Amino acid sequence: MLRLGAAWDDEPALAAAWRAARPFPHLVIDGALAEAAVAELLAVVDEEPVWPYEADLFAFEATAPAPTTAELRALVAAWSAALTPRLGRITGAAIGRADLRAYAYRPGHYLLPHTDHQAGLDRVLAFAYYLPSPEPPRGGELELYRCEVAADELVVTEPAAMIAPAPNRLVVFAVGAASLHQVREVEDGLRLSLAGWFYP
Amino acid sequence: MTDLGALFAARAALVVPAAIGPAAAAEVRARLERRGYTRYALVDRGSYDVVAEPDEPALCAALAALAADRLRPTPTAAPPPLAVIDARAVRLGPGDFVLAHHDRVHDDHQLELVLDLSAAPVAGAEVHYRRGGQLYHRVAAAPGALSIVERDGGVTCHHTYVSRRQADAVVRLVLRLRA
Repeated sequence: MLRLGAAWDDEPALAAAWRAARPFPHLVIDGALAEAAVAELLAVVDEEPVWPYEADLFAFEATAPAPTTAELRALVAAWSAALTPRLGRITGAAIGRADLRAYAYRPGHYLLPHTDHQAGLDRVLAFAYYLPSPEPPRGGELELYRCEVAADELVVTEPAAMIAPAPNRLVVFAVGAASLHQVREVEDGLRLSLAGWFYP
Repeated sequence: MTDLGALFAARAALVVPAAIGPAAAAEVRARLERRGYTRYALVDRGSYDVVAEPDEPALCAALAALAADRLRPTPTAAPPPLAVIDARAVRLGPGDFVLAHHDRVHDDHQLELVLDLSAAPVAGAEVHYRRGGQLYHRVAAAPGALSIVERDGGVTCHHTYVSRRQADAVVRLVLRLRA
C-alpha cells in the first residue's frame, strides 16, 4: 500500500480548496506521499524503460502506455487503491480506478495546450505527481487556462494559473471541454513525473 | 480547372534553396511589419502572429512562376499555369506553434508554397507535412528557401514549436496555388 503524506489529513479543507480553485477545479498537494514511499516509487520508476515521443503537440520521454515490469504494474494498482477513495471524497467525482505513466522532460521538451477531454475515454480527473530530480528543472510548469466555450469550440483562452513541478507535489484537476492546460518547455534540468487519469 | 494530379506524375514535395536573397527578404519583412501583424492566440490551435492579406502581388507572382517552372513534367514542357488563391504571412517567436488541427484540409488538389523570410535560421523551427499520420516532408529552417508541396485531402501540416531557448522569430509567407 502506498503511504500518503500528512497533507491528506484534512479532507474538508482539501474539498474546499478544490471547489474554490480557478480557472477550473484543481488541487495542489505538497508532501503528497510519505518520504519512504517517494524513495520506493523512484526505485520502481528507475527500472522502467522510457522512449521518446514527438508530435505536433508534444516532445518528451515516457514509459510505454502499459507498464512493462511487474513492479510498475503493482505501483499503478497501489496508486489507484490509495488515491481513488480519497479523491472521490474530496472532489465528489465518481471514480474507481487510475492509470499512469512516468515522464521525463529534458531541455526542449514540452506539452502544448490541450484539454485531455476526448469522447469515449471517460477521463474524469487528471493528475501529475512530480518526482525529485537529480537536476531540478527550469521551466516545466503546469499552466492552466481560463477558457470560454461556444458551439463546442474554445473561443477564448487566457493563461490563468501556473504550478511549478516541485518534488513530491501532486496536482489533480477535473477533465472537461474547458480544462485547457500545458506543460511549459523545460529550459534546463530534468523534470520527472508520474501522470495519468482517474476513471469511473 | 486543370487537376494538378493530372499535371504531375508524382505528388510534389520539394525545397528550392535561395529562392529569395537576404536583402529582398528583409524588405518583405519590413513591409509586413508596416502592414501590421495580428496576434492569434487560441492556444488549443496555435500561437503566432499573422498578416492575413500581405500586399505582395509581385513576390507572389514570382513564386508562382518559380513553382510552375520547377513542376514542369519534362524540361521542354511548358510550365503549367498556376494562380494564387491566397497568401498569408506568419511569424513564430519563442514559444509559438501552429498545430495540425488548426490546418485547413484541402480536398481539392492545390499547391502550398512556404517561403522562409527569416533573418537567421531558427533551430528546430520546421514545417511538417504528414500523409496518413506519417511525416513525409520536413521543411527545415533555411532563410530564403521555398517549399513546394502538392496538397490533397490526405495531407496535414503543422508548424513546429519554437523553443524558448531561441532568440529569433521565424517568418514565413504561405501561398496556396491552383492550376
